[in-house]
Amino acid sequence: MTDAPRRTVYLDHGASSWPKPPGVVEAVASAIAEYGANPGRGAYAMGLAASRLIFEARRDAAMLLGVRDSADLAFLSGCTEGCNLMLKGVLRPGDRVVVSSVEHNAITRPLHVLEQRGVRVDVVEADERGVVDAGRMEEAVDAAPTRAVVCQHASNVTGAIQPVADLADIAHSAGALMLVDGAQAAGHLPVDLGSLGADAWSASGHKGLLGPQGVGLLYLRPGLDVEELSQGGTGGSNSEEPGQPTARPERYEAGTPNTPGIAGLGAAVRYVSSHADELRSEERRLARRLHEGLLAIDGVRVLGPEPGEPRVPIVSAVTLGVAPDRVAFELDRRYGVAVRAGLHCSPATHRTLGTLETGALRFGVGFGDTDADIDLVLGALAEILA
Amino acid sequence: MSLREARPFVVYGFATTHAALAAESLLKDLGIAVVPVPAPKSIGSLCGIALRVEPEEAPRAEQLLSNAGMEPTARVEMDDL
Repeated sequence: MTDAPRRTVYLDHGASSWPKPPGVVEAVASAIAEYGANPGRGAYAMGLAASRLIFEARRDAAMLLGVRDSADLAFLSGCTEGCNLMLKGVLRPGDRVVVSSVEHNAITRPLHVLEQRGVRVDVVEADERGVVDAGRMEEAVDAAPTRAVVCQHASNVTGAIQPVADLADIAHSAGALMLVDGAQAAGHLPVDLGSLGADAWSASGHKGLLGPQGVGLLYLRPGLDVEELSQGGTGGSNSEEPGQPTARPERYEAGTPNTPGIAGLGAAVRYVSSHADELRSEERRLARRLHEGLLAIDGVRVLGPEPGEPRVPIVSAVTLGVAPDRVAFELDRRYGVAVRAGLHCSPATHRTLGTLETGALRFGVGFGDTDADIDLVLGALAEILA
Repeated sequence: MSLREARPFVVYGFATTHAALAAESLLKDLGIAVVPVPAPKSIGSLCGIALRVEPEEAPRAEQLLSNAGMEPTARVEMDDL
């Protein structure tokens, strides 16, 4: 016997957005069916079409993110690769880095490797809501010569928005770089990389930008020399040279790119660009409705900022006396609700919040969610936790 | 048409495919007839896309690219169809 098909109430946008907006699936399929040639290599019509597809996706993503020269945006496999690149491409043995205590494993694990190679990693505790305090970061930065300050733009556990522009000022005043994990900000927040102050900013294509999985973006500010992670064919220039070309974006894009994924991301960022205000307003409203509804259920404690305080549309909760994984399983099995329990690849955040042992139940609100979805989840939780 | 009937063009090479396509977009927007072509060996070690323009449009194209900070990395005059 198989389970009958049913509608999924999807609240895991913090991991991956679903469904995708109009045009994204079609763009991915079209790139495979119609533009299957390698981009950036042959000058025949299909190869050029693939090259232009990538050029236009990069141009439109740059426009959405406030990047003046789109060559400063590299297409990578995802935010994790971007985080690895900006950290490993900059930090050397003997360098010191100051990092918040609420980072995702995409930051903490590369830093762990770098620490083993002789980079000094100093962690600054965020507050009980998971918000990074600029004053504490400044004290840590000023305590010793610092090569880089590393911080998320927004939390994938609490939804807290971090004071990245202030941290960039602190970093730059100390002669340090500001490196930002933008995974949970991209798409959900207005981002102007031309003025934010980040020297490097990495993002996923498949979360708030509403693109497919397998593609992400890394912004590097003009003139910043970051060593590439991979060397290989780039198609365009200096093929006879033994070393990787230094011109952007090809320096960071060795090998055949994920053209279908980039095509989908291009369609997605065009959709987000033209619907940004309504998308953000709606997901913020729904997240607040969920947040306030959770607070009204006995035995639920919501992590992170209070209702009305700035946050991206992620709300995590601890269910007192019932393990979050059991609640997530019941929500899925009995109500068709997709949410994620556990540590959300961010044990550092849960350690800071005191939820390392239990984990939490995370609701990621996003494109396609409705009031009825939120009400269904709240009703289901009230039943499960009664 | 045979390659033996070729006539002169100016071909520009760029550091990256991205730069070549950015230049193509700029020149097209400003009314220059530009054609992407396989980068010829004669403009260096490039293996990607180059841009071909009519000789009489080359001075204006070069001025426009220079104004935009998008100067080509190589320039060659060659016969083509």
